[in-house]
Amino acid sequence: MHDLLDDWAQSNALRERSSRLKLLLGLGAITICVSSATPNAPFFVAVSMSLIILILAKIPLRIYSHLLLLPLSFALLSSMVVALMHGSGDMLYAIEPFGLRIGIREDGAALALLLIARTFGGMCSLFFIALTTPMIEIFAVLKSLRIPEPMIELSMMIYRYIFVFLDQAAMIHNAQVMRLGNLSTRRSIDSFSMLASVLFLRSWEQGERLIVAMDARCYDGRLDLIEEREGAKAMEIVATGAYLALTLAISLISNKQGIS
Amino acid sequence: MAMILETRGIGYAYADGTRALSNVSLTIEEGRKIALVGPNGAGKSTLMLMFNGILRPSTGEVLFRNRRLDYDSRSLREVRRRVGMVFQNSDDQLFAPTIYQDVAFGPVNLGFPPEKVKRYVGYALQYVGLSGYERRPPHHLSGGEKKRAAIAGILAMEPEVMILDEPTSNLDPASSEEIMEMLDELNLGGKTLIISTHDVDLAYRWADEVVLMKDGGVLCRGSGEKVFGDLELIREARLKPPLMVDLYQELVNRGLAVQKKPPKSILELCDLMDERKRRDELQQENKGKIYICNADELGPEKAVELIRKVDADYTGAMGTRAKLLAEEANLRVDFTYGVIDKCILKALIGKSCLVFVSQGMLGQIQKRIKAYSQESGAQIHSIDLSARNNGRSLPVAHGFSRTKSLK
Repeated sequence: MHDLLDDWAQSNALRERSSRLKLLLGLGAITICVSSATPNAPFFVAVSMSLIILILAKIPLRIYSHLLLLPLSFALLSSMVVALMHGSGDMLYAIEPFGLRIGIREDGAALALLLIARTFGGMCSLFFIALTTPMIEIFAVLKSLRIPEPMIELSMMIYRYIFVFLDQAAMIHNAQVMRLGNLSTRRSIDSFSMLASVLFLRSWEQGERLIVAMDARCYDGRLDLIEEREGAKAMEIVATGAYLALTLAISLISNKQGIS
Repeated sequence: MAMILETRGIGYAYADGTRALSNVSLTIEEGRKIALVGPNGAGKSTLMLMFNGILRPSTGEVLFRNRRLDYDSRSLREVRRRVGMVFQNSDDQLFAPTIYQDVAFGPVNLGFPPEKVKRYVGYALQYVGLSGYERRPPHHLSGGEKKRAAIAGILAMEPEVMILDEPTSNLDPASSEEIMEMLDELNLGGKTLIISTHDVDLAYRWADEVVLMKDGGVLCRGSGEKVFGDLELIREARLKPPLMVDLYQELVNRGLAVQKKPPKSILELCDLMDERKRRDELQQENKGKIYICNADELGPEKAVELIRKVDADYTGAMGTRAKLLAEEANLRVDFTYGVIDKCILKALIGKSCLVFVSQGMLGQIQKRIKAYSQESGAQIHSIDLSARNNGRSLPVAHGFSRTKSLK
């Protein structure tokens, strides 16, 4: 069953690589994306990250394109608005319905393009992390970064129970659909509110059962944190460094050209 | 036998006033296999939660090894370490994001040093056959695997008593047989086991002692034959007689089986059916042989080789480690549960069997076959193929208790 991002994170071809390095690569790329003043570097990141995800991590194209569709369509819509609203510079394109002049100016267009590029590049990098690094490994890295343990323990517990509640929500939803709970919009809204309230109660109960389960095993405020796996190979570190340096260079060079 | 757990006249009412238990007095001896049986709402789960101090009785008292439970945190820790509980729903129990962390939870909270935690977790996971699953999250496991992980989490604390609430509910038949066999293995290692179940066939076949509960009280307790032989009682408790008992009674009524005590297994039933024939004829007939080999000594290749060499009609795997071996070597195994009985049944009709046995169960299988031969007069030979223990019967050494010497 491969329905969730988490399932791919568990089984992709880069699963066994150092999670520290993967996080560094992903986060580094995101930082360069959002700080770049021109769309060149973000587009480069988007393309290269997608290639890494598809070829190195062996995530099927169908899954990956599906995942990208949602944030991408959102980015396209919002940048359209930005393009129309923003602006100085030459008018590139305009329409005049009912005497109102709506148009895209040079500035607005550039900003919209940058916005799309940044979102696209950032999303691809984020998906790289999400699709190749299981949450558990991320917890281990957080621990080694000295994040306070209660915070990590809490997030681990939340992470674990997301899946339990996801299952329950799916079951409740099925039970509603089976009895035609979503026949009309009104009914769907009703059903959804019921689902939410039942899920709340169930999570409450689950919480109580959790306390009993922990007590039954002598809970004393301690949870073992997972250890990190062995470090990265030299080649991998060099490759990651080279990639980030290249991206940074593209970003800086195109920034300069943009200014001059 | 020493008393390990005892309740004296305990009663309990939930906050809304429902009486869940009233005046329950029960003694549990060390090393027994006990099944609590009863309809929904009989108070089985409530009683189980009393045994390790999760619930505190409103009247009466609970004793562990003849000492009254004090409900202060120190003695609660002690009793919870010694009385482990496996919940009905594994998802309630597996709360950590990885199997390793979950199994380590108990040992870590007992304050064991990291190196010792690691060793205990390793043993527990190996015992239940989940080595290599350390970094998997629980939601990637099947129902049977989840149950085993939950059992490992308890095993890692080295309890003396294990309580399992409906251990086979929601499991497929093969998984539940495997879980029950694992419980037998644990019992052989000296653990006292208490399970609750609706499954009368399971309780009848598996338990040394059955406790029949209804409306928060104990209706009857005793051997499976005694409790399930009383049809009036069974009806009152909204249960049904085990299939084996029902069938046996019909066969006796038709003169097809000898009237003795009700059989517990197909083997015993078959014995009752050809009782007359046996004494005169069966002794001369050619019996199949049962070859036994220690699965812990063999690698996959050796196992395959052995199968080719012995060329038995049937193969069986008994115990978790033996099943793992069969899986590794990609063997087609005919029997994976109730193995001894199946082998004897086949031997009686002249077929031979080769059985891979986990070390801990080696002594048991030989003893069982010997006892059967003596009792029935049928000469069934078991041949031990293990390299080291040739012909010598093994003391019942147990896998998990080995950790004790490592402390």
